[in-house]
Amino acid sequence: MAAEGTQQQSALDVDDPVIRMRNADVTFDGGESYVLDDVSVDIDRNEIVGIVGESGSGKSMLASAMLDAIPDPGVLTGKIEYLAEDGREIDVLELSKEELRQMRWEDVSMVFQGAMSSFNPTMSIKGHFVETLKAHDYEVEPGIERAHELLEDLYLEPERVLNSYPHELSGGMQQRALIALSLVLEPEVLVMDEPTAALDLLMQRSILMLLRDLQDKYDLTMVFITHDLPLVAALADRLSVMYAFKLVEIGPTEEIVGHAAHPYTRALLNSTPNLDAPLEDMRPIEGQSPAPINLPSGCAYHPRCPLADDQCRSAVPDFEQTTQDHAAACYHWEDSIDQIPLNYEEMLDDDGGSQTDGDYV
Amino acid sequence: MSNQPVLSLENVEVHFENQRGFLGFGEEDETVRAVDGVTIDIEERDVVSLIGESGCGKTTLGKTCIGLQRPTGGSVKYRGEDMWDVRDGKSDSGLDWDEIRQSLQIIHQDPGASLNPNRRLVSILSEPLRQVSPDLSKGEKRERIYQLLEHVGMNPAADFAERYPHQLSGGEQQRVALCRALLMNPDVILADEAISALDVSLRVEMMDLMLDLQEEFDTSYVFISHDLSNARYFTEHGDGKIGVMYLGELVETGPAEQLINDPKHPYTKVLRWATPDLSLQEAGDMPMRKIDIPDPINPPSGCRFHTRCPEAREVCKRETPDTYQINGQQAACFRRDESHEYWDSPELMD
Amino acid sequence: MKRTDSGSVSGTDFSFEKGSASNVEITWNDRLRDFWEEFIYKPGLVAWDDWRTRIGLTITLFFVFIGTAGAYFYPEPATNQAPRSLQPFENMNHMLGTTPLGEDVLSKIIHATPDILMMITSGAVWATGLAVLIGVLAGYKGGTTDRILTGLSDVAMSIPGLPLIMVLLVSIEPSNPLVIGAIITINYWAGLGRGLRSQVLTLRDEPYVEASRTMGVGTLRIMFKDIIPNLMPFVLVNFVHAARYVIFQAVGLYFIGILPSSTSNWGILLNQAVNQYGALFSLSGAYLVFIPTLAILLLTLGLILLAQGTDRIFNPRVRTRLAGESESTEDGDTEPVVTGGI
Repeated sequence: MAAEGTQQQSALDVDDPVIRMRNADVTFDGGESYVLDDVSVDIDRNEIVGIVGESGSGKSMLASAMLDAIPDPGVLTGKIEYLAEDGREIDVLELSKEELRQMRWEDVSMVFQGAMSSFNPTMSIKGHFVETLKAHDYEVEPGIERAHELLEDLYLEPERVLNSYPHELSGGMQQRALIALSLVLEPEVLVMDEPTAALDLLMQRSILMLLRDLQDKYDLTMVFITHDLPLVAALADRLSVMYAFKLVEIGPTEEIVGHAAHPYTRALLNSTPNLDAPLEDMRPIEGQSPAPINLPSGCAYHPRCPLADDQCRSAVPDFEQTTQDHAAACYHWEDSIDQIPLNYEEMLDDDGGSQTDGDYV
Repeated sequence: MSNQPVLSLENVEVHFENQRGFLGFGEEDETVRAVDGVTIDIEERDVVSLIGESGCGKTTLGKTCIGLQRPTGGSVKYRGEDMWDVRDGKSDSGLDWDEIRQSLQIIHQDPGASLNPNRRLVSILSEPLRQVSPDLSKGEKRERIYQLLEHVGMNPAADFAERYPHQLSGGEQQRVALCRALLMNPDVILADEAISALDVSLRVEMMDLMLDLQEEFDTSYVFISHDLSNARYFTEHGDGKIGVMYLGELVETGPAEQLINDPKHPYTKVLRWATPDLSLQEAGDMPMRKIDIPDPINPPSGCRFHTRCPEAREVCKRETPDTYQINGQQAACFRRDESHEYWDSPELMD
Repeated sequence: MKRTDSGSVSGTDFSFEKGSASNVEITWNDRLRDFWEEFIYKPGLVAWDDWRTRIGLTITLFFVFIGTAGAYFYPEPATNQAPRSLQPFENMNHMLGTTPLGEDVLSKIIHATPDILMMITSGAVWATGLAVLIGVLAGYKGGTTDRILTGLSDVAMSIPGLPLIMVLLVSIEPSNPLVIGAIITINYWAGLGRGLRSQVLTLRDEPYVEASRTMGVGTLRIMFKDIIPNLMPFVLVNFVHAARYVIFQAVGLYFIGILPSSTSNWGILLNQAVNQYGALFSLSGAYLVFIPTLAILLLTLGLILLAQGTDRIFNPRVRTRLAGESESTEDGDTEPVVTGGI
């Protein structure tokens, strides 16, 4: 298992990592099965990274691992470092409870799925902000001013929203208020787990645009976790794909969308209905994703992969570099590009131009 | 096969009363106009998709179509007969409410909650057969159930039939819900966000299955979705039409490809902008003037979209547009009328 | 807990074949086996799995045993059947001792059991049955039916129980334990009915219930097939609590003498012990109070433990897991459910 880690280390160096994760494992039953399997990844400063995976792929575990927030009785091992802008290098797993508490929200903040349950229904939104500021010993006045600014950035009316209770706001407004709350202590990194899942189309898209604006204005690093690849593709600089609790591919968004190397990524891109693919070519992925106690030997994807051979069945593939910044954990990545055509390829041929009309695309 | 639509909704309104106020001494009764004047037909073997944001009334409209929701205004006709007249016993058409009830079925969004957790599949699926084919013997019923389960990919059927819902995956549960609806041999099935809770890679499979079985069981679908890509896939393969709803009104209808590639209503264009695709082109700024939907209790005057519409003008605040027809598509927007005073009206700025 | 998807769809055309229905004939053997598995074997497995239920079941079955076989075989109590006032364990023929009138105490305990069992069963069935009927009907139907039935149960709840029971018992003077049991629970059903009604209100809007309605399934069938089975844990637990309630009330009523001593009951033993034999005043007579009390305690304990464990029986997940039918898999992250519109 360690060999994979070192290979990944060299393939995916980033210029200025803000989070460095090496060989992160999460197990709930003492090492018999893993819900996060030897994941090594670097997050570059000020980038937006999308982590894409279906349910049961381990993506939420990855997010929680970055903040050492794996629920009991899970055990997280590996090395997770946070490198602050001012030069501090913090080993997240070595922190004391108090230090961890400080790091969370002040340096690395997290937005969970389903804003509704993150709020205390008996406290006003302003109350939440004040409580957070006080809990971290920040001054309340300037904090609330910052809150005003953040809420405006998110197209909310600050006075109205601050004085409301959570149930008085719509789902979209709650989610945006939660994003503002997560940024009030000026963290460097924002980790988001399906932040737009329960929201409408228009609201999802709008929030994505707002996130981009926020990233720009406040120099944030963002990690966006979702099952919806097309959604995050519009926002992210880099994409990484998870399958069966492992990272299987990582690279710049254009590379992944246009030249995905891992057969699973290509199949995933083909199976999600999107507006630009010709209808006849959409295909579901045969088979099912494995449960943690039932992982296939070798490459976890081999039962469903059209390119699988004996090598795939016996040994877990290391990361192979396809281009300078793009890597996939597959023995046959070169063949996959030929043998698994993407159903929207025509569209990509015109230099990324789209075939469709419409005023707002 | 008659040319008459199976379901015909005319100016249907569904208003909910919300009484507010202290101890019943309310200041106002707040009426939520969930559906406000919708006219739409559903033909035999048709596919009609309803899309829109939450609160636009698509679920309420869907349930009104299949007789689970009584309209407060307008009429819902089943094969030409007002179904609620039949229910109240005022119709002399010879149609029976039971017949109508059985021919309109539903598939819910949450597969886990749509099956009785205390019943085995064989029992769950015997229920529809009990309703429509009561003379079948137990063995005959089982045989049909096994055949259908096998056809939807649950093999070996005898094994699956003995399982409880919690022993199935979400995709399998949803397929069982589909089987249950089909075994009623219905004329129309309402699929209320039926694929939204499934894994992304399973959605296409489920939609294919639904369309595959449509032929055999001779049924129409009313497909509710918040996702334009899914609606497009389903509608185009089913050769049907998409209806776009906004705040209780149908603002545009038309065949899928046409509607998506050449939208005639500004709201449809906004929906298109919001749908993620893989073109990676800069999607541009938000076209709507406001992010948030207005309160459905107090919808905007005139054209309801005027508060957010990028093309809105003064007249849009005052007057409500009719539905204009342009080769197979219908859109409720003044821009479709070249001679309307819209073109002379000043733009709305905020 | 989601299992991952197994098959994929066949692409062929489909139609119902009118094949020979004999492929899937259900024999009587199958039916019997189904019944055994569903109602006896599997619930038994679940019951045995939990230590509380195990003990509770054992104790309750023990009492059922002595109430049936015991009462059949063991000789009846009669005066002067044995030396008087024997202490427990003094004479192994009369293990629990004898009364000052020479009756075997063990025999008295055993022979009071059948009546007690009948009484508590009757009471529990009456109370729970009525509560289910009224609660479910009111909750599911709603409207006027609901208002009438709820009004009725409100009235029943506000009438003070004990005086009512006492009045009824004194005027009717029943001797049949089944009737006594029913009278004791005369307004016990009301509170339970309310609780059930609110549960039904939630269940009524569940998608699977709506699906049944959409299929045109009749109200009664929906109540019995869809709603009540999902209420069973609640109902069963309360059934056992009602049984416990009856014991306590009965013993108390016998003790104060409202209930006639023509039926045998441990409460009567207590009454006699205290009033006639002066058992509270001397240590040597203490066993006459002790032993009936112990019997009451034991049965009550058994019922309570049984109640605590029984709701697991109705959980299909536990049932199938213990019968080895499904493997449990690790919980993955679930797909987010989109909240739709109105």
